[in-house]
Amino acid sequence: MLPPTVSDDTQSRYERFLEAYLSGELRLVNSGLARERRSLAALLREKHPSVPCSDGSSQVLKRAELQFLAGMLDESEQEALLLPILIEVAGDEHEATVLCTSDVELKVLSQVLGMPVEYERPGRVRIYRPQLGLLRKSLRSSTQYAFSARTGG
Amino acid sequence: MAQLIKVRPTKIELVKLKRRLKLSQRVQKIVKDRLSILTMEFLQAARETVSAKKHTIDAMNEAYKAMTIANGFHGYVALQKELVASEADITVTAGPRSVAGVRLPSLELNEPSGGLRGYNLTQTSSLVDSASDTAREALRAIMELAELQRGLELLGGEISRTKRITNALEYILIPSLQATIRFLSMKFEERDREEKSRLKRVKVLLARKKV
Repeated sequence: MLPPTVSDDTQSRYERFLEAYLSGELRLVNSGLARERRSLAALLREKHPSVPCSDGSSQVLKRAELQFLAGMLDESEQEALLLPILIEVAGDEHEATVLCTSDVELKVLSQVLGMPVEYERPGRVRIYRPQLGLLRKSLRSSTQYAFSARTGG
Repeated sequence: MAQLIKVRPTKIELVKLKRRLKLSQRVQKIVKDRLSILTMEFLQAARETVSAKKHTIDAMNEAYKAMTIANGFHGYVALQKELVASEADITVTAGPRSVAGVRLPSLELNEPSGGLRGYNLTQTSSLVDSASDTAREALRAIMELAELQRGLELLGGEISRTKRITNALEYILIPSLQATIRFLSMKFEERDREEKSRLKRVKVLLARKKV
């Protein structure tokens, strides 16, 4: 027996809604990503530290967090650390990848997580869910999620 | 049973449907990732809200206690006279921060520049300093609680919206696309088989005619 077909009216309503959603959702998930990352030193010099986002808005970074980061880094490292730190989520529910442009991010991660961390691949550090929670708790405004459709690993 | 989408049974439609299925599965994966991240953030925010609420209540208690003691020591009128001069506007740095596409508020109490208290330190006791410190701490706690609580509401709303979308993709769109693709593929196979048997029959008829 053949499965029932959807009537034209119902189908068009579903179709319109889902088509619009599918195209919108991919844009939405990464809409708040930073368009330009700025160094910690530059952000500390600003009165209201913020970075511009890809959707035209800006992400405000908390001064308390910046000072927390500055406390664990020397001046040259403060120049090298680009904020916000990006956390890539790519299809695995139990882990995420922190994108590191320099070894300073690695140092920050080790200090925040309280354990040594290593590159899994050049520029990428794999962390697990409990560590992700810990990282987000300490650096709420200076980390951002980036969603990727590729498979993890 | 998944519903079939009404399309013309052509190969072009089949290719289109396959492309749509691929896109839907890709979006479903991203939406599921987003949902799990939002849920994690929501749970963390909920835990932090509970402790922030407790901290706010404690800080308020401390502030009122310190203020009452200072009031008792200096007298209400004398303390009012000192504190009226120290009144200053509270400035807060507020802005959005994005969590997986959700814009949450970010609030931070600005510390007064130079650490000046605004009242005469020689005319007042350390009890007033203590009351001032605890009041500022209470303000900071209120700010933290406001940020977390609003964030919690926004995250909750976004989770329920994302859940609806995930369910629509998982239980309606993708199964109906798969069912339609399966139905069209079977139809084309059936057509091929019909064509083959027709050709065989024609071949037999031609062979008979020759004989």
